[in-house]
Amino acid sequence: MGALSVLERMRGLREDRGAPAGVRAPQAATDDADGPFALSVRNLRTVYELGHATVQAVREVSFDLRPTERLGVVGESGSGKSALALSILGLIEPPGRVGGGEVLLNGRNIVGLSERQLSSIRGREIALILQDPMSALDPVKTIGAQLHEAIAVHNPQLRRSALRRRAAELLREVDIPQAERRLDDYPHQYSGGMRQRVAIAMAIANNPSVLIADEPTTALDVTTQAQVLGLLDRLVDEHRAAVILITHNLGIVSEFCDSVSVMYAGRLVESSSCEHIFLGATHPYSEALLRCVPNPERLAEGPLPAIPGFPPDLSALPGGCTFAPRCSVGRELAVCHEQTPVPELVEGPSGSAIVECHFARERAARGSR
Amino acid sequence: MTGVIARRLLGSLGAIFGASIIAFVIMRVLPGNPARLILGPLAPPSTVHSLYRQLGLDRPIYVQYWRYITQFFQGQWGYSYSDGAPVRTLIGERLPATIELALFAFLITMLASIVLALLVTYRRRPIADRIVRAIAYIGFGTPPFFVSLILLIVFFSTLKILPGPEGRLGAQVTPPATVTHLYTIDALIAGEPGKFLEAVEHLVLPGVALGMANFAFLVRLLRANLLEVSREPFITVVRGKGLRRWTAFRRHALPNASLPTLTAGGLVLGEFLAGSVLVEKVFNWPGVGSLVYEAILKQDFSIVQTFILLSAVMFVLVNLGVDLLYAVIDPRVRVRSVVTA
Amino acid sequence: MSSGLLTFAPPDGAIREVPPLGDGSRVRRALAAVLGDRRLAVPTLVLVAIVLFAIIAPLAWGVGPDTQNLLASLKAPSLAHPMGTDQLGRDIFARVAEGARISLLDGTLIAVIGAVIGGVIGLLAGTTAGASDAVLMRVMDAILAFPPLILAMAVTVGLGVGLKTAAIGATLVLIPWYARLVRSEAIRIRSLPFIEAAHAIGASRRRIIARHVVPHVMPTLAIQIAAGFAYAVLLLAGLSFLGLGAQIPTPEWGAMITDGLTYSLTGQWWVSVFPGVALLVTVTAASMLSDRLRDVLDPRSSGLRS
Repeated sequence: MGALSVLERMRGLREDRGAPAGVRAPQAATDDADGPFALSVRNLRTVYELGHATVQAVREVSFDLRPTERLGVVGESGSGKSALALSILGLIEPPGRVGGGEVLLNGRNIVGLSERQLSSIRGREIALILQDPMSALDPVKTIGAQLHEAIAVHNPQLRRSALRRRAAELLREVDIPQAERRLDDYPHQYSGGMRQRVAIAMAIANNPSVLIADEPTTALDVTTQAQVLGLLDRLVDEHRAAVILITHNLGIVSEFCDSVSVMYAGRLVESSSCEHIFLGATHPYSEALLRCVPNPERLAEGPLPAIPGFPPDLSALPGGCTFAPRCSVGRELAVCHEQTPVPELVEGPSGSAIVECHFARERAARGSR
Repeated sequence: MTGVIARRLLGSLGAIFGASIIAFVIMRVLPGNPARLILGPLAPPSTVHSLYRQLGLDRPIYVQYWRYITQFFQGQWGYSYSDGAPVRTLIGERLPATIELALFAFLITMLASIVLALLVTYRRRPIADRIVRAIAYIGFGTPPFFVSLILLIVFFSTLKILPGPEGRLGAQVTPPATVTHLYTIDALIAGEPGKFLEAVEHLVLPGVALGMANFAFLVRLLRANLLEVSREPFITVVRGKGLRRWTAFRRHALPNASLPTLTAGGLVLGEFLAGSVLVEKVFNWPGVGSLVYEAILKQDFSIVQTFILLSAVMFVLVNLGVDLLYAVIDPRVRVRSVVTA
Repeated sequence: MSSGLLTFAPPDGAIREVPPLGDGSRVRRALAAVLGDRRLAVPTLVLVAIVLFAIIAPLAWGVGPDTQNLLASLKAPSLAHPMGTDQLGRDIFARVAEGARISLLDGTLIAVIGAVIGGVIGLLAGTTAGASDAVLMRVMDAILAFPPLILAMAVTVGLGVGLKTAAIGATLVLIPWYARLVRSEAIRIRSLPFIEAAHAIGASRRRIIARHVVPHVMPTLAIQIAAGFAYAVLLLAGLSFLGLGAQIPTPEWGAMITDGLTYSLTGQWWVSVFPGVALLVTVTAASMLSDRLRDVLDPRSSGLRS
């Protein structure tokens, strides 16, 4: 997806933002020299208790997000990405629950708040965009009604006419033609791309400082994907929101994000700037993921490699490094199967990263690939 | 949407046509001599023969069918052979009582199943879920007449808190001034709260008895629908907007889950109208059901025959009504689907 | 899709598919599942108990179902009469046991005959396309236009009141239901890749139906026989209650309930309650069994069910 050219462009962008926030050690304070974080997640743990088994969907995850920073979270399906998003918002439903940790939103821990307090934060300070535009809108309510709802829930004083005006404004903002007229349409009268625009409009309706987008473009075709991503890019800039973009598409991360965290089996195994990952991922899993991206320049090397094996069963995790059974480096090594690696801050040729790998240092030093 | 309506109308017409043929075959062709059937074994042959002629049974079968169907839809339902009154008058007199009972049963069944299904799905207590499953099984396995009996034994014979099998009102109470023929509503119109309560008290047990089996069915259906809808991404999205769990549930999960339940609700209402025959007898409810029961005892089959085809027609019509209502309510059917890029 | 005495469907209104019970290992596994699974064991054991009761009790019990003793009429349950006596002094226990024979036998017959006729119709409709399918299904739709109890009523009125005609009426109610079930199953199976493969290697249509479609439809149908049985018992009792089925003095449960209605409301509750409880237990056990068999034999519907 033209990852390199985009990177060139982003390198310029990022200069005034300093080092990516994700690189800070997990035990860092809620703010640093650059000012407070929009979102700090500390040791967040989410489990699903299914009677016969306990699934550990998110295992002690920590990261920081600066205001207006864009963090990409990548990983295979089942790695706990979506559970992480829902955990941050306090939307994990039984039989799942957040088993510990903190989510500091603009400095305030929101884990354990009442439904009442949480609902006043959701949509106003932190908003959510989901993957599937077909099922993300209530099929029996008009688009207008659903936009009204998003606005009114945090602005109870607004009258109907004002709500309608604001809803139309939002639709125009996401480039829906004939916005006023289309307010009275139902979701099934919108195309997939338009529905996803509506979902974005609802998410930005109250100027949240953090936006969590879970696979926002996955279900769309490539052209629409690019348009929606472009729109999101513009709006996030205008509204000065920080974004967590959850995706399995590295191309989108390279286009859209400043920093990236690679998730595997409920852990963030590598967090760094985009350059670091794309120019030389340190963790063997990140490296393997990158190899799976089609690249015209490497066509000659033969068919795309796949990562052997399957992601581990989150209810019966192997001891040691959870990636070891599939790892090109540690598959045969006792240390990888016996000891759990700790997060380490490493310096590579293109920036620093936090990596959970017994060989992080030496791999970073040689710049991996 | 007109296409949808036309299709439903046509389907219903077809079903009524088919049902009329089946009723005709079962009750006019198979018995051999329907006149004997209608008049009973004791009637003298001359009477049987004159009815045979009167029914046109000496004519070709398609002529008979045509006569049968046109007379039915013109409301010429013949005469009761036990007391000579027109069947139409007899059924007309008894219909309001049955309608009132069916509507009441429908109301409490719907309310109870919605409340219970909400409780189970919203609170997510496994124990409540198990109770609902038990109710569903037992409600299915209990015939309405047995529920009636148990209710009467408990609330009338033993606890003495509700009236016994004495029909729509106590013996000393005169019906309210007639407007709609439904005593509860007429009592309200006449401004007689005492009579209203009296009428409701008499409705409670037969209403519950009539509703039990369908309550069991509806609560299970609604529970399954609610669980399915509450797992839809749009519920998460709505909560992500800042709606509280209950508000999201009420505004979004419930309407979506109710749509498919509506169709079932229509079936249920149709069944109540036809099926009160099992309950009315126990409660001496002066409705069509008791009329039919009495007619069976007296072998007065012109009433029974009319009732049978009439139930099928009503059953089809109520379901048609629900289908049309569904088409009006559900925007995916109502609004022509325009997908623009 | 509704339930209760008036429309026929399993309690949750859903018809699920089950994998075929073709070979011996599957049958063994199914048996092991029935006996090892508490959800299945309970209704199975209850039904077995009822069957044993129906076989043994009338033989072992000293009093016949029709033996009248006017000196001992309307006696409350005691050791001599565990379920009391009715207005004619007949022993209710003996009558309930005799009634169990009637209900079990007739219910099974109705369900099996209904399943066979409905199954054949469904198979014909599901494996032939076009006109015959359309005609068969329109006829089934016309039957379904009647509330079930009313249809069964029509049959007894047309053919003459009695237990036999009531059974014919109940069978007629079940036929379209089984026909629809089998038709949709047959259509689904016909579109599976292995059937297309069989076509491709030149297997004849009759052979495909006999060797592939029928074995796959059978387990679904078999499980639904339990549901049909429950419904048939209920329907027969309803017709007898109305005086259209079993006639006095036949100790059919529904007829016994009508018979004792007046006495039951004036203190002698046992006259109608015991036959009613027998009816309730039988129908509930059978519908529970069919429902849970479907859950257990179909892995897609079990597991994380909530």
